Amino acid sequence: MLNRKLGVVDLSKGKIEIQEVSESLRKALLGGRGFNSYYLWNMVPEGIDPLSPENVLIFGAGFLTGTLAPSSGRFNVSAKSPETGFLGDTNCGGFFAPELRYAGFDRLILKGKAEKPSYIYVEDGAIEIRDAQDYWGLDTLDVQKAFRKDLGQVEMAVCGVAGENLVRYACIRTGIKNAGGRTGMGCVMGSKNIKAIVAQGTIGIEIAHPEEMLKTVEELKDYIMKSKITPILGSVGTPLLYEVSNAFGGIRTKNSQLNAWSDDFNASEVEKFVEKMISCSSCFVHCRHRNTLGGEGPEYTALGLLGSNIGMEKLEDCIKMQNQVNDLGLDVSSTGTYLAWATELFEKGLIDEKVTGGIDLSFNDFETYTKLIDMISRREGFGDILAEGQWAAEKLNDPNRDYLIAVKGLPQSDPHDVRYMKAFALGIATSSRGADHLRSRPTLEIFFKLPPDVRNKIYGAEIANNPITLDTKEHVVSWSENIFATIDCLGMCKFICHGFNSPHFVDYDWMLRLINAASGWDYTDAQLRAVGPRVIDIERLFNMKHGLTKAHDTLPKKYFDDPSPLKVAKGHHIDREEFAKALDRFYEVKGWTPQGKVKDDRIAELEAIA
Amino acid sequence: MKYLFTYPEKCTGCRQCSISCALNKLGECNPKKGAINVLRDEFERYEIQFVCLHCEDPECVLVCMKSAITKGEDGIVRVDKEKCIGCRMCVVACPYGAITSFEGDIIKCDLCDGEPVCIKYCSTEAVVYEEENEELMDRRKELAKVILKKE
Repeated sequence: MLNRKLGVVDLSKGKIEIQEVSESLRKALLGGRGFNSYYLWNMVPEGIDPLSPENVLIFGAGFLTGTLAPSSGRFNVSAKSPETGFLGDTNCGGFFAPELRYAGFDRLILKGKAEKPSYIYVEDGAIEIRDAQDYWGLDTLDVQKAFRKDLGQVEMAVCGVAGENLVRYACIRTGIKNAGGRTGMGCVMGSKNIKAIVAQGTIGIEIAHPEEMLKTVEELKDYIMKSKITPILGSVGTPLLYEVSNAFGGIRTKNSQLNAWSDDFNASEVEKFVEKMISCSSCFVHCRHRNTLGGEGPEYTALGLLGSNIGMEKLEDCIKMQNQVNDLGLDVSSTGTYLAWATELFEKGLIDEKVTGGIDLSFNDFETYTKLIDMISRREGFGDILAEGQWAAEKLNDPNRDYLIAVKGLPQSDPHDVRYMKAFALGIATSSRGADHLRSRPTLEIFFKLPPDVRNKIYGAEIANNPITLDTKEHVVSWSENIFATIDCLGMCKFICHGFNSPHFVDYDWMLRLINAASGWDYTDAQLRAVGPRVIDIERLFNMKHGLTKAHDTLPKKYFDDPSPLKVAKGHHIDREEFAKALDRFYEVKGWTPQGKVKDDRIAELEAIA
Repeated sequence: MKYLFTYPEKCTGCRQCSISCALNKLGECNPKKGAINVLRDEFERYEIQFVCLHCEDPECVLVCMKSAITKGEDGIVRVDKEKCIGCRMCVVACPYGAITSFEGDIIKCDLCDGEPVCIKYCSTEAVVYEEENEELMDRRKELAKVILKKE
């Protein structure tokens, strides 16, 4: 069988239920992120504290995870976010999710709270809650090595000391650098006394039409490998984006006081620290670096958020810090954003040494930042304040968060300064989990040489051929959101998704071939295209249930009020009136009310899914 | 003869070789049932493939009590499923860890009778199917020594 089971673990009662999932539900949402969001919407009561036992934590693999489908090693972890109070959801690669499926499960839902430190062990159709006393207190690498030593070739999703100590942006890690980084899912693990999910399995995923899948993937591999972008991603990985963005002034620098930084962080420099390029499960692209400083990475995100954004001048210091953040189990994007936020507030005199406990904050201060990262993960001194993330705004004397680069309480994920690239701005303003490029990153906006007719055909509308206008960009963002949500449901990587890094790659036609080869369904193009919008609407409903309003679909104050100071982007900012109009148009494209609400008939339709 | 030659230094650890092998032979995606296997450990920082070398004088043939394993005239070492009783002696005897078993079924590479599927799904040419020559065979001997040391 292609599909696996659903394990529902009540940690408070120590009760485990194993359930089948209906085919109708799978046809409506496929798997991965879609299922996770659906269960959250149905299971998380209104108004709960995300760190209370009432929160629900879901680990869900995608529809094609663990198959021959390329880059299909992914899963989503979801809960109400302790960092934002809204939708918590994070997508991660590596080898854990395929192993979870080989162990017999598509998805685990954790409810309640374990009495003592525990881990979940999953093997060939069975789930156990086990004692984790011996593993508590270990960082993300040591704990995984300990599990391998004790249990053999297992794959794990773990939280680090940051998760144990309830840092609101603690991540989930599998392997050395693969992270379910965003929205504090490691913190929710800690709050439930769960150190790890450990999986080991031998149950193969049966494919309905093996020959068809072999043929489709062989053709798809040729197509992916022929692209110009694939060998670049496979040799330098995401750091290639740094130079591209820096060239026109699109790199977040010193808490967005600047918008461009040093060439010392270019991919050609990063390459000097690469020992070998490696892959996640089933991936042809191999974009991960094994670095010479003992870890993996850095990704573009680390170069920006733990590099330019905190004014680092030495690449080596940036890589060391991202290795440290990875070991402790913190989210790179949030950590780098909060450090930059506090540093600017200190430099501006809004906070002083009384608040920081004697720490003198300044950009490019590697020693202090390293110490502070450690203090955050252990909630010591000033680290305890920063561990609260955006909720520390009052204590940091910035109650309206005017200096924080965040949306819906989530620090912006990527290093893009979006004042120039208006579609990127609309995307992070409306994304269901806060300021995040992985929901809708419209990369084609900065493919300046892409012929307009190609662009229009992809987005299915007449698109303004200019990144600096918000006109027509509602179509770009909405189209991107839908297809990225779909590929998240399949458990495949956005790196090979049509429109993410390239105008080519896996579009709905390729997805359809893979789905039907794997499942034996006669799934149609219309059915497939309905999945993304359904997921987006369900996430909107979850957020609205937890207090989200139109006012939350906005941008950091700086992006509106402070024009970019450097390079081509100089003078560009987001105009408030233009933005308000774009938001109205976006809601219309989504079929929402002018207040950004999902309409009643649509709610009824979504409630009927079973 | 043509053999599969592996290059661990090029292997990214994705396991598409194993998954395609199991899908082709058994109709399921399962890297653990591939006749080519990737042993990987991100913490110890290595990726290395294990696959049958179709030895000149195979240990597995020698130990098989049922004469279920034979080396054909084409040089390919094959398991006869009818004769095999699943005793796993070949699994134990293979010095290169290239034979595995699941619930009594022996899993071993037969080069897909000369058209190996796995190579089509490797994006870095970390496993290739080539006519033997001195250089390739020397390289393979060196690699075999590494595997023997690991065992």
